[in-house]
Amino acid sequence: MINFDEQLDFFKLIGNELKERIIGYVIGGSAMMFYGAKVNTKDVDLVFLSRKELEQIKDVLFNIGFEEKKKMIKIFKRYDIADNKPIMMEGKDTRFDLFLNEIIDFKMTESIVNRVKESHEFNNLIIKVVSPEDIILLKSATEREKDRLDALNLLKKFDINWSIIIEESIHQTKIGELLFPVFLYDFLYELKEDLKADIPKKVLDEIRKISEEILIKKLKKKKKK
Amino acid sequence: MKLIEAAKNLEGFQTISTISKILKVSKRTAVNYAWRLRKAGYLTTAYGGKKTKIYKISRLLREKKGYNFYELFNNYSKIKLSPREDYIIHSEKKPSIEEILARGIDIMEFRVVLGVLGLFNKIKSWSKLKYFADKYDIGRKIGALYDVARTIIRVKRMDKRIRKGLLNGKGGYIINNVKTRDFKNIEKEWKVFIPFNKQDLMVYKE
Repeated sequence: MINFDEQLDFFKLIGNELKERIIGYVIGGSAMMFYGAKVNTKDVDLVFLSRKELEQIKDVLFNIGFEEKKKMIKIFKRYDIADNKPIMMEGKDTRFDLFLNEIIDFKMTESIVNRVKESHEFNNLIIKVVSPEDIILLKSATEREKDRLDALNLLKKFDINWSIIIEESIHQTKIGELLFPVFLYDFLYELKEDLKADIPKKVLDEIRKISEEILIKKLKKKKKK
Repeated sequence: MKLIEAAKNLEGFQTISTISKILKVSKRTAVNYAWRLRKAGYLTTAYGGKKTKIYKISRLLREKKGYNFYELFNNYSKIKLSPREDYIIHSEKKPSIEEILARGIDIMEFRVVLGVLGLFNKIKSWSKLKYFADKYDIGRKIGALYDVARTIIRVKRMDKRIRKGLLNGKGGYIINNVKTRDFKNIEKEWKVFIPFNKQDLMVYKE
């Protein structure tokens, strides 16, 4: 586990070691720490838009004592069969998960990049923090209990723009394989029912309608095949 | 009213008068609320105009880390910016005015570059400015904008050696693909394209 200060120290260290300017997008618990919505996190999740940048970060982490972990930990649905698995660099108390362009099946789209609200410069390392809406959507595709609690915390702290989440989930389904609105509906329904999260009924109804339409389309496609 | 509730109701950009309207209190009480919210970490000054200050209020309690580029820029510049995205610099020392000026030009956005002109009269060390000009490879751009600034505001005279040194930098567009018909003599001397008309600089005369 590392706290926010330790995370900043790691970024400073990496930034000082880098020879070139690199932009990374921070997601998950690490991003929540930047928003003051979480105290500590087990792993630092970073997404890069180029293989070269990812390799450079991997080299720096290796040089400062991290080692590549070959055995994957199952976090996301479809983790075992996904092509684009993260590089996991394990240190003494923390782990860096490095993703390239997508987080398993969740693509880093231009709209996600444009929604970034904060950039942090650590010498040659620029860390961009993805929006709370995108963090919630990402968490909806995971299977961990703590991600539900994280999402609940975000819902309490932010005025979430639901239309962003709904639109992005539809967009992700169009460009990928996963049925994000279906995951999102299950996730939000559980949050509302089990954890009493403040999610408008109108939003849930809308996502359910979209999910049903997507499922029907998918079934029709399968029948045709 | 509890502070966290006040922060929730006031989330976003506010002035004293909007705080007083939203909380339905007098302006004097609104000033007190602003002071208490700031003390608790819910309020920061987004920028202060001549008459009214604009506050940014967020219910997220966050310890301030690093230096916000746009906050520093707004402290120095007459042209205030309200960016879509915060840019935090995590460095040992607070970025100097010279660094803010160089970074402002490097951003290549119209309003930021226009705001940079006003920073030239606050420069304390020309050699420091030269250092950052070399770091960002924008020597010619800095030289040209300095000359543009001199046409509209009072600016300290630049050291001749520094001026000569700035000619070593890369020329071209200050803002990608933006050029105008004014300041042709400055453009010729520095081999850069000035993105402003004379009319754009009138904001410094107001």
